[in-house]
Amino acid sequence: MTVAMLADPIRRASRRRRRVLTALALLLVLALVIAALTGAVGLSPRVLLGEMPAPMDAYVWWQLRLPRLLAATLIGAVLAASGTAMQGLFRNPLADPTLLGVASGAGLAVAVWIVLLGGMGGQFGLYGQFVAGFLGALFITVVVFTLGSRAPEGGSLTTLLLAGLVLNTLAGAAGGLLAFIANDQQLRQLSLWGMGTLAHSLWPGVIAALIVMPPTLWVLARSSHDLDLLQLGELTAFGAGLNVIRMRRGVVIATALGVGLSVALVGIIGFIGLLVPHTLRLWLGPGHRLLMPASMLGGALLLVAADTLARTLASPAEIPVGLLTSIVGGSYFLWLLLRRRFH
Amino acid sequence: MLRLEEAGLCTAPALDAFSGDVVPGELLAIVGPNGAGKTTLLTLLAGLRLPDSGRLTLDAIDLRDWTPQSLASRRAIVAQRDVPNFAWRVRDLVTLGGTPSVARLERTLESMQLTAFSERVVTELSGGESQRVMIARALCQLAPRPEDATRPMAGGILLLDEPTSALDIGQQQRLMRLLARCARDDGLAIVCVLHDLNLAARYAHRVWLLKAGRRVAAGTPENVLTAERVANAFDAELTLLDTADGGERVLLLDR
Repeated sequence: MTVAMLADPIRRASRRRRRVLTALALLLVLALVIAALTGAVGLSPRVLLGEMPAPMDAYVWWQLRLPRLLAATLIGAVLAASGTAMQGLFRNPLADPTLLGVASGAGLAVAVWIVLLGGMGGQFGLYGQFVAGFLGALFITVVVFTLGSRAPEGGSLTTLLLAGLVLNTLAGAAGGLLAFIANDQQLRQLSLWGMGTLAHSLWPGVIAALIVMPPTLWVLARSSHDLDLLQLGELTAFGAGLNVIRMRRGVVIATALGVGLSVALVGIIGFIGLLVPHTLRLWLGPGHRLLMPASMLGGALLLVAADTLARTLASPAEIPVGLLTSIVGGSYFLWLLLRRRFH
Repeated sequence: MLRLEEAGLCTAPALDAFSGDVVPGELLAIVGPNGAGKTTLLTLLAGLRLPDSGRLTLDAIDLRDWTPQSLASRRAIVAQRDVPNFAWRVRDLVTLGGTPSVARLERTLESMQLTAFSERVVTELSGGESQRVMIARALCQLAPRPEDATRPMAGGILLLDEPTSALDIGQQQRLMRLLARCARDDGLAIVCVLHDLNLAARYAHRVWLLKAGRRVAAGTPENVLTAERVANAFDAELTLLDTADGGERVLLLDR
């Protein structure tokens, strides 16, 4: 057997990885270009080259469109990567930040910040919102994780989904209570933020996302091999040299940071974390070394495309993109459940 | 060689001080009633739980001083019924945790009778087949002597927790034969938690009998698995039958 033959499967896998990721990246660029040029105010392609033919173009591009595209790209990537990581961590294809209540927990914490703690306006208020979102997401992730790992063998999927259901219900009720006691100005702030829309993506928030999210994505991408090992079960993975506790802590903090910040920025945009890894896994297989970066690109692609639709379908009005993803994602999830049951 | 020197655990589930060697070329069965500490002993041998008293050494070096990576190349674990939930291809799953050469991968798949399954998806396999996949994966992880191409696994340690629990008797027989052969021909040290005493009597080279966190007997199956000892340890009434040729014995529960 020659050296060339020995190296062949490895080389084939890395060639495939390059091809898939390049294709997704090109699709994402294409979606970004289309998204940049369409909207309530159409832009000429020349804007992308730095020229501003119409008087309003500079404002629309620099203050509205560009921050929004950046937010969609980053948040889509983070939500999908968090979904992939949670599915890997729970060894369960149905884990998702929205389904397990992590996003609701972050949302509730942000609502508490706005209503009970006064939610100061300005930069400081915005960053308080981020911290609240992160802490809420972290808390729920830890709760869900404790519940999930305590469940007996085989019962863990039911426990997880029930825990998510309960946490979502509780967070929903608490959120309603907060809205009830909020004053008019807080209520307006709550409803502007809570609908799951990218319409309010302004530079301060986007800059925070630009600082926090790339490192989060980097941590998750680096965990790919460890997530693969974890699929063998904790004991076996330990036997293969994995420090399960340290790896899990890193992934939990990274997903809580990503999801918490996303929720604080744009409210709850559901099901991207379920839809993207699920679809890509059917196509690419379960190995995280390809699945994780592909999910990031796929999530960004999906949210950029969905947001463009949300902006244009009822133009000049906007449909909250969270509603769109929930309708599509919810139907998909229902279909998954039905297929599991009747397979 | 993996050596226990008066190694014990004081926090629950506790283990009394254990001494003994896990020797290459041998299949060691750990048997005992439920709650006797079999799996706990396995996690101790694996290095997941470190002994509170005494020492656990590998090649005379304390297990604490091994890096996770070098330890992973010396010993691999097959946990109980732990087959991935995702649709891994057998070939991809088997290489998780190790980087075997293609030749060695093919040889391992062949030795575990998996060549025909290598492109199949693991979630579609039977219990016996997926158990063999997990063992093949563990074998591919081991690289105790990378320079020795003829016996690449010699000196490696394989720890299995009840590998036969979900298998029918035909699958049990094939699996135990494979394990015994791995120990004998490839020079592996294999430690197997077993529920079925007849399997232990038939295939193991040595047996440790546990009860309530203590080892009550250790040695060859003939010496350890006597009717009186087993009846005592398991709180059961049973009879020891000699086979017609006199070479083997079978444990039979009394009616």
